[in-house]
Amino acid sequence: MRTGVSETVRLVACEVRRLRGVRSTWVVVAAVLLLNAALAAVSARRFPAGELTATGAVRAMAGVAPWLPLPLTALGAAVLGALVYSNEMRWPGLAASRVNPVRRFGALLAKLLVVGASAVLLAVLTLAVNTLVVRFALPAAVDASALLSLPHPAELTALPGLAPAPAAGPFAVGGVGRPLPAYLALAVAGGWAGLLLTALVRSALVGVLLTGATPALLEPTAGLLLHRLGLNWPVWIRELLPFQYGLNVVRVAADRTAAALDGMVIAALLAPAALLVLAVLVAQLRRRAL
Amino acid sequence: MIQITGLTKTYRRGHPPAVLDLTFDARPGMITTLLGGEGAGKSTAFRLMVELERGHGLTLFDGRTYRRIRRPEREIGVLFSSGRPEAGHPGQRARAHLRMLAGAVGVPTRRADDLMEQVRLAPVADHRISTFSPGMHRRLALAAALLGDPTTLLLDAPAEGLSPRSEEWLHGFLRSFALTGGTVLVSTRSPEEAAALADRVVTLDAGRLAADQPVVEFRRTRLHPEVLVRGPQMARLADLLVAQGAQVRRESGVGIAVSGIGRTEIGELAYRNGVLLHELADRVMQRPLSFPAALPSGSGHSGEVVIRTVRQLAGERNAGEQLPVAQRTATVGRPAAAPGDERSDERSDKRTDERTVEHRARGHRALQAGRWAAAALAPDQSARPAPSAPPEAPAVDLTRRTPRGASALGRPSADIASVPAPTPAEPKPVVIDAEQLAANPTDAELLTPARIAGVGHAPTPGRTSGRAPTPAPASDQDGSQVRLRPVHATELRSAGQFGQTGHAGSVAGPVAGRAQAVAGEGGASAVRRRAVGDENGSE
Repeated sequence: MRTGVSETVRLVACEVRRLRGVRSTWVVVAAVLLLNAALAAVSARRFPAGELTATGAVRAMAGVAPWLPLPLTALGAAVLGALVYSNEMRWPGLAASRVNPVRRFGALLAKLLVVGASAVLLAVLTLAVNTLVVRFALPAAVDASALLSLPHPAELTALPGLAPAPAAGPFAVGGVGRPLPAYLALAVAGGWAGLLLTALVRSALVGVLLTGATPALLEPTAGLLLHRLGLNWPVWIRELLPFQYGLNVVRVAADRTAAALDGMVIAALLAPAALLVLAVLVAQLRRRAL
Repeated sequence: MIQITGLTKTYRRGHPPAVLDLTFDARPGMITTLLGGEGAGKSTAFRLMVELERGHGLTLFDGRTYRRIRRPEREIGVLFSSGRPEAGHPGQRARAHLRMLAGAVGVPTRRADDLMEQVRLAPVADHRISTFSPGMHRRLALAAALLGDPTTLLLDAPAEGLSPRSEEWLHGFLRSFALTGGTVLVSTRSPEEAAALADRVVTLDAGRLAADQPVVEFRRTRLHPEVLVRGPQMARLADLLVAQGAQVRRESGVGIAVSGIGRTEIGELAYRNGVLLHELADRVMQRPLSFPAALPSGSGHSGEVVIRTVRQLAGERNAGEQLPVAQRTATVGRPAAAPGDERSDERSDKRTDERTVEHRARGHRALQAGRWAAAALAPDQSARPAPSAPPEAPAVDLTRRTPRGASALGRPSADIASVPAPTPAEPKPVVIDAEQLAANPTDAELLTPARIAGVGHAPTPGRTSGRAPTPAPASDQDGSQVRLRPVHATELRSAGQFGQTGHAGSVAGPVAGRAQAVAGEGGASAVRRRAVGDENGSE
């Protein structure tokens, strides 16, 4: 058991070295931060005068643009995941040691962990940068005092999903902080999707492209399915997903918006992910190299 | 101890297998070398050994397959070879790369730094891998293979791209590794390296085990030493050497390759006879393998048929070659001045040799290969003349590829000759090619005793007969109008008769005049060149 733990730690450390050692990682991180800041600044400039709406603030701070399939951070995480996989695929330092599928699964797990952690880090970083940018780039006519006030420490413990929503503050229902966990989850999911899709098709470029295409395919399907079932996305997920074809259909029945995730929605979200993981596992079993 | 049993791999159905039934052992304390040319299946064999590719057969490392070993890097260091340099991600620094791999293998990072020193990359360790040369890539990959301090090494072409100094270091390292009880399996392309490094040499040819020999036997049977001699008076030296019982082969340019006599003796002989030498160097040539008539059939793929037909034809050609070689060596052993009446019997043989040598002088191998390739690549060419010439049934005609191959190789020689020769200026290339293929191409470079005898004795009467009045270029043009073969035959005969009887009256006028002109003009080497006929005979 102890050896298993130390082995995992070793593998994760190795993957961290791999990710850190190449320049492209830092290029991707810098590009994501810069683009996010630029996007936030542009959308903050475009806010209409008057009270700042929560939706607009969330979109500006999360780097959500209508022409992007995913928030920018999630796309950046997907690129990181694809690079982590394709680096080892193209330049295996020890090709022979990856012949055993168990060892390949170990490496894949370590990569998933490292990519997930770096996606969370990236999301937090971009959120911080974007909040600053939005605050400074807001036109004078926009009143944001209600939305962008700092939360009380007590409210931070009441993150959505963990506890009933507080009555007021950023984490209240309809507040700016409400989509925070969904945002982090989306970033991690983007990184993992990039990694797993690259593992499936063995090409970083195709993996990233597929990651971009997946939400555009999945979201309308899932939205329609949920609509048929009489269920709905929570509002704060809607705000984060730029593609809203399916959600527009649902929006007609806007009264039926769910306040929180229920089992059906979670299943609809996780079923494609489970399919992807399964496909990757089967592909790895049939292969001799990553 | 590595036991390799029955490795077989066919990449595509209907194609010949890359590796077929490869079986041998690599013992601890020894360096085993897998020797084979390009495409012999060495790399495939290595990839099959660690099961990086799907195939048949088993490889047992101390009784376990590679996948069953719990920590393979700790026991077996593996180095693969692929065409491109790929030690690691080009953006990564070498030290970071090796430390990362050390983490994956589970050794401290200090070990990575030590190995950097050992492969002499320490000064450049902090530079990116993209700045490395192929040799540095190779050394970095070698360091990665050695990270786990393994007891067995599987190195595919480790010396490829290495500088001579690094290669020396590598050989020393491998030898000391084997001395401490490690098992080493190395692949190489060069027989010299195999002979210098290995304790046991496994020769691979077209995916098949051709020989598995201790290095002593390998050196004895597969390599034969030669001395390369260059200088301005090589024809004279060749005569002297043949008189000493050596075998002389003409090299490109003004050189000859001598076997059967040591370098020292050649130097002494040249000094005593006042022959100027420009170069005198030892080298090792690889003897071609002789193939068995019937090769083992493989896994029942139709690809087997293809390769067997080709090989059989090659075997027949080889067998056809061997016969004249034997004859020649028999005559070479004799002193050049000895025979009298036998010479007329051998004359026809000599003539054939004449043509072969003449043809070989212009890069025979490349021409021939090109012709075969042209014949193989143009199947419609063999299909189109089918109505005019009745298509002969190929010996084995089961696959799609066989008729192509058979039509390229098994066609009658005249048909091959009809493939356009690369020098269209030749008036009658057809005749030359036909007889060329009937004769043996490979050993045609050997100077035949007939010519050597002719060369050796021609100058003396040439010089004594004085300068001939006929200018050489005119006679050359005359000669090119006449049919080529008879001219040379008579010329040769005249040279021989010069040597024996010393009178040239029986030979036809222009030919005799030409021979004299030639002898007067350039002396021995010129005569020999005319007799070989590499310039005026072909153009």
